[in-house]
Amino acid sequence: MQEKLVEFAKLLRENGVRVSLAETLDAFSASEITGLSERDSFRAALRATMIKRSSELPVFEELFDVYFSGLGEIIKQASKAVQDALSMSDQEFQKFLDRIEEMLKKEGKNLSELAKQLLQNNSGAMEKKLREAARAARLKGIERTIEENYFARALARELGLDKIEAEIKELREQLEKMDLGTEMKARMEEYLERRLKALEDIIRRYVRMEREKRDIRQREDQKMNQIAEKSFYYLSEDELKKMQEAVQKLALRLKNVISVRRKHSKKGRFDIKKTLRKNMDCGGVPFKLRFEERKKEKPQVVILCDVSDSVRNASRFMLQFVYSLQDLYSRVRSFIFVSEIGEVTEHFRTGDIKDALDVALKGDIINVYAHSNFGYAFRSFVSDHIGAINKRTTVIVLGDARNNYNLPHDWCLREIHQRAKRVIWLNPESRNTWGFGDSEMDKYQLHCDMVEECRNLNQLYRVVDRLVVR
Amino acid sequence: MFSSIEDVIERFAKNNYIASRRIATVIYLAASLKKPVLVEGPAGVGKTDLAKVLSTSLGLEMIRLQCYEGLDEGKALYEWEYAKQLLYTQILKDKISEVLTGAKGLKEAVDRIAKEDEVFFSERFVLPRPLLKAISSEKQCVLLIDEIDKSDSEFEAFLLELLSDFQISVPELGTLKAKHIPLVILTSNNAREMSDALKRRCLHLYIDFPSREQELEIVKLKVPDAAKKLADEVVTVVQSLRKLDLKKTPGISETLDWVKALTLLNVESLDQELVNETLDTIVKYEGDVRKAQEELKDYVRRVRARRGGTETTGSSDKDLLN
Repeated sequence: MQEKLVEFAKLLRENGVRVSLAETLDAFSASEITGLSERDSFRAALRATMIKRSSELPVFEELFDVYFSGLGEIIKQASKAVQDALSMSDQEFQKFLDRIEEMLKKEGKNLSELAKQLLQNNSGAMEKKLREAARAARLKGIERTIEENYFARALARELGLDKIEAEIKELREQLEKMDLGTEMKARMEEYLERRLKALEDIIRRYVRMEREKRDIRQREDQKMNQIAEKSFYYLSEDELKKMQEAVQKLALRLKNVISVRRKHSKKGRFDIKKTLRKNMDCGGVPFKLRFEERKKEKPQVVILCDVSDSVRNASRFMLQFVYSLQDLYSRVRSFIFVSEIGEVTEHFRTGDIKDALDVALKGDIINVYAHSNFGYAFRSFVSDHIGAINKRTTVIVLGDARNNYNLPHDWCLREIHQRAKRVIWLNPESRNTWGFGDSEMDKYQLHCDMVEECRNLNQLYRVVDRLVVR
Repeated sequence: MFSSIEDVIERFAKNNYIASRRIATVIYLAASLKKPVLVEGPAGVGKTDLAKVLSTSLGLEMIRLQCYEGLDEGKALYEWEYAKQLLYTQILKDKISEVLTGAKGLKEAVDRIAKEDEVFFSERFVLPRPLLKAISSEKQCVLLIDEIDKSDSEFEAFLLELLSDFQISVPELGTLKAKHIPLVILTSNNAREMSDALKRRCLHLYIDFPSREQELEIVKLKVPDAAKKLADEVVTVVQSLRKLDLKKTPGISETLDWVKALTLLNVESLDQELVNETLDTIVKYEGDVRKAQEELKDYVRRVRARRGGTETTGSSDKDLLN
């Protein structure tokens, strides 16, 4: 059992649940207390010791079902099937098995262990033998559906299925000569036949189950890795949805980390007033000291987001991410542009973020079907909204700098840069294309403190991590 | 202590708490392994109640520590009663001068005072706060650390130390070891994530909103004089409200409050006008109230449709939910 639990912990880890050694040991002790017979209690014991985040519960449930109902269930079901085929009630079946046992005692002296266990319906022992055979056949190595046949045969070989077939055939011949009623003989014959088939069936299902386990292991992991690495441009509908969830999760985790980081800011000066007040009950003697709290300034952020077709997906996620982090900033003002520029701050403040994104990207605020004109956009910003920027503001520009050969007006960006604390440019294009064709990146770069490639979720994470810390 | 998981379920039921097998298992494990339990879940599902029921069903005292941001060792563990010490010093001025008579020079005077150190730094002047009370308790007790997600990470670190060894070192008094290890229950609303170390120390229990049947059972148990039909309808509506995207999803306590309020007003089923007025027992925010009203309108319409529309709809429909 302990081995199984260790393996289960490994399976959980492969699916993104961080189970520590201490927790596995707890699971040992807990499962010893609850025992293995009551499935629900056993499940609850494992859940309480190995899963410590509520977001990991669904993964646990799925894996538990696959891992722990496995072989035992299969064998049980096979027996039930045989019992039903013979149309016997539980009691009848039990009596029948007793008679089989008698018969085997008399005649089956030469039968192999497994054959006896098979015929006596000894599931526990059968399970053990199957597991040993699986180990010998290296069933854990199964990866794909097409390998199922190969492994089924290997497993059968390790079990000695041929030998068992021969033995049962011999037993059937001996059955003829035995002194039992015709009906009993017929039943026994049917039983022997069905049990043999059942064993083959069990082998096949066992192999399939192991393959499915492997599948689940790889499925989720791969998917997320792929999505995080996939460029924003190429995401399908489904992946978009997954991506949104991932961005939200990321924002939440980042928020927690940042709040912890903030707390550790240094204490300020000794605060006489507070100290005296606090020590009134001690007659003013300063037993307890109080310090001024250093106010950590929350940064202000202004986002200028290109929402033209070419960067649509990227801007969507960027906006969503920054808005999920709203509480970490004292102010976030966002502007979208293609050629004209428009402010969308209010939409994000009041509404649901998804609705806000839709409004922003649909075309109600600015004309999203125009051709990108960064120069014009920057100029409009400087003339209409330059007041939004002061020395505490971080300006983030998200765009590919592809200006359609319009005038770049990079002096506007210089204006912005002079007024702001810093300017960060996130470009969803690959770095080697910057400056080529109509990309004005090389000109705009000069007025930025930080320029980063931001093509997929991983890069976004790295960028924003640096962004938020200061 | 509990003899089995079924024992837990039984004793809890006797105290009007319906524990699922999952909850009972974790409690049983916590009692047997002497590990703390971290109970997480949305507000109003019975996390704090769990600790209360645990203490009553075992006949143990419950010591409660309510966490908040800025909670420090002083408020949680112990404080010296400076005021008392000063007071005693004043009153005993004469006695003190007696001790000091004949002392030659400052050094000897200080030495003599130092010998009497233990008088002023003894247990007499320690103000025990919940954690110290729990540790030094003569009998075993249940320690409830409520809303630990509201505390900050310094407190968590300190708590971790406590939960690992169940002993405290007070510099002047030495190390105080727990005579009986208390049953510790920590509750969290998930406002922030706990540190990994703390989570590893505890058994984890996630209590989610109950299923329809479970909630119905709870309502029957806690509000026995509610009309069966009313209970049924209330539970149905609340269950569907939970599926909506509300700012604050109603918990079990809200359901119970609503049923109690409606029963008090002698409402037999949700078809009546009073329902609208009592809606704010379960939904607390403006935007949520509007969404809930929409849902109720839908619900009433569905019920009417099911009844076959034999009653004339028209005016009563409009009146009900304007």
